[in-house]
Amino acid sequence: MDFFSNIVKIMAKYWKVFLLQGVGYTLLLSAITVVCGAVLGLLLYLGRTARFKPLNWLCIAIVEVVRGTPMLLQLYIAYFLVPKILPFHVTEFGSVTVGLVINSGCYVSEIFRSGIQAIDKGQTEAARSLGLNGRQTMMRIILPQAIKNILPALGNEFITVVKETSLASTFFVGDLMTSYLKVKGNTYLTMECLTIVGVIYFVLTFILSKLLNAFERRLKAHD
Amino acid sequence: MTENLIETVDLHKSFTVNGKETLHVLKGVTEHIAKGEVVSIIGPSGGGKSTFLRCLNLLERPESGKIIFEGVEITGEKVDINLHRQKMGMVFQHFNVFPHLSVKKNITLAPVLLGKRSQAEADEQAEQLLSRVGLLEKKDEHPGRLSGGQKQRLAIVRALAMEPDVMLFDEPTSALDPEMVGEVLDVIKALVKSGMTSVIVTHEMGFAREVSDRILFMDGGVIAESGNPDDIMNRPQNPRTKEFLSKVLY
Ligand SMILES: Nc1ncnc2c1ncn2[C@@H]1O[C@H](COP(=O)(O)OP(=O)(O)OP(=O)(O)O)[C@@H](O)[C@H]1O
Ligand SMILES: [Mg+2]
Repeated sequence: MDFFSNIVKIMAKYWKVFLLQGVGYTLLLSAITVVCGAVLGLLLYLGRTARFKPLNWLCIAIVEVVRGTPMLLQLYIAYFLVPKILPFHVTEFGSVTVGLVINSGCYVSEIFRSGIQAIDKGQTEAARSLGLNGRQTMMRIILPQAIKNILPALGNEFITVVKETSLASTFFVGDLMTSYLKVKGNTYLTMECLTIVGVIYFVLTFILSKLLNAFERRLKAHD
Repeated sequence: MTENLIETVDLHKSFTVNGKETLHVLKGVTEHIAKGEVVSIIGPSGGGKSTFLRCLNLLERPESGKIIFEGVEITGEKVDINLHRQKMGMVFQHFNVFPHLSVKKNITLAPVLLGKRSQAEADEQAEQLLSRVGLLEKKDEHPGRLSGGQKQRLAIVRALAMEPDVMLFDEPTSALDPEMVGEVLDVIKALVKSGMTSVIVTHEMGFAREVSDRILFMDGGVIAESGNPDDIMNRPQNPRTKEFLSKVLY
């Protein structure tokens, strides 16, 4: 069949574009997004639980707006707005990454919130009754327990982000979906290129979720 | 004259339920607990016993009224409640032991973190406390491996490690299987005998009668009756006390 021999031919010629450049950028973009998103998510979580009420409202509003609007729209806004706002030169890759980080941060702040809220209120009460202050209670009692809920959820967020970064290809930032656009532009073999990219995405997320499961089992075994 | 360790003056506390309605739970509670005194609080469910107890170390903040602990008005402004809480141990119905820490670490965490002891001193003290309640061989286990009775004994010595001046117990045996109630009550009895000031919310009438210097009967957000165990149990004056006792004793 032509279809499969076409795929073999495309891969023989363009494997670097797909597997090195595409996969590489996708993983890089995802890693940056999740790591920075985790930091932003923690800040947003702290903001919404802070004692200063206006900060609570601001953080809650940001999270709700981001979760309630399409990500592609947010990426467009970041793409146009970030270079205008920042005083130094930002690449397109940079601008789009900012958009991804803000989006992911909002979801991650929800991960923190539900992970921390899942810890029984009695734990806080016991710690406070011993004389620990709020920060000591959070750092020594709540977070060490919540982290067991948070880490697996962050892993899932990473897998989600791997797939979502495909939207960034709209701006040709070099991710796996951008590889598809490039190779299709050269070969005009749309279905073949889509199949290749689809298989690579699937293999990527499949491997990542297997790794995550193994990691989760180890977390549980430590209890 | 006996010295007051805790004094409450006209405490009021309400909760908002379902975002709207307010539930007036404490309706003016004025009470004194003397140093060395053992006070049990009994009464029907919803009467405000837990709320009153939790106000004493400000886990719940009363809207009005005063709490004076060791001569300090802890309900006042600019009071560092964390310092005072170190002197008030609390034991909960559901134990609330720290599942991510070993049995020994459960005990040593607070004294070390709060600068009361070095880790070595705290470890030594923890082993003494654990052997006192028969848990020494469990010191390196995690609490997940303990029975309910063992968890509660751990929770008690965790509080004792801070060397509190008073112990507050909120139904310490209510969540236990019947065969484990005795082992926990024995620990509390021994503690009370050693002179520890204690406030105990309990449904164990026999235990309350045996260990208490005084029993408070709480109902409808007030202390409806207070007196020595013999009077409360055998000659209750308030009709509500009579009714409650007739339900729980027979
Ligand atoms: N955090 C809270 N929010 C809303 N309502 C509360 C809260 N805590 C207690 N209440 C309500 O206040 C009332 C008194 O509760 P409290 O726990 O003090 O009673 P109790 O005498 O300890 O009863 P029990 O014997 O069932 O433990 C109850 O109606 C309870 O539902
Ligand atoms: Mg109660």
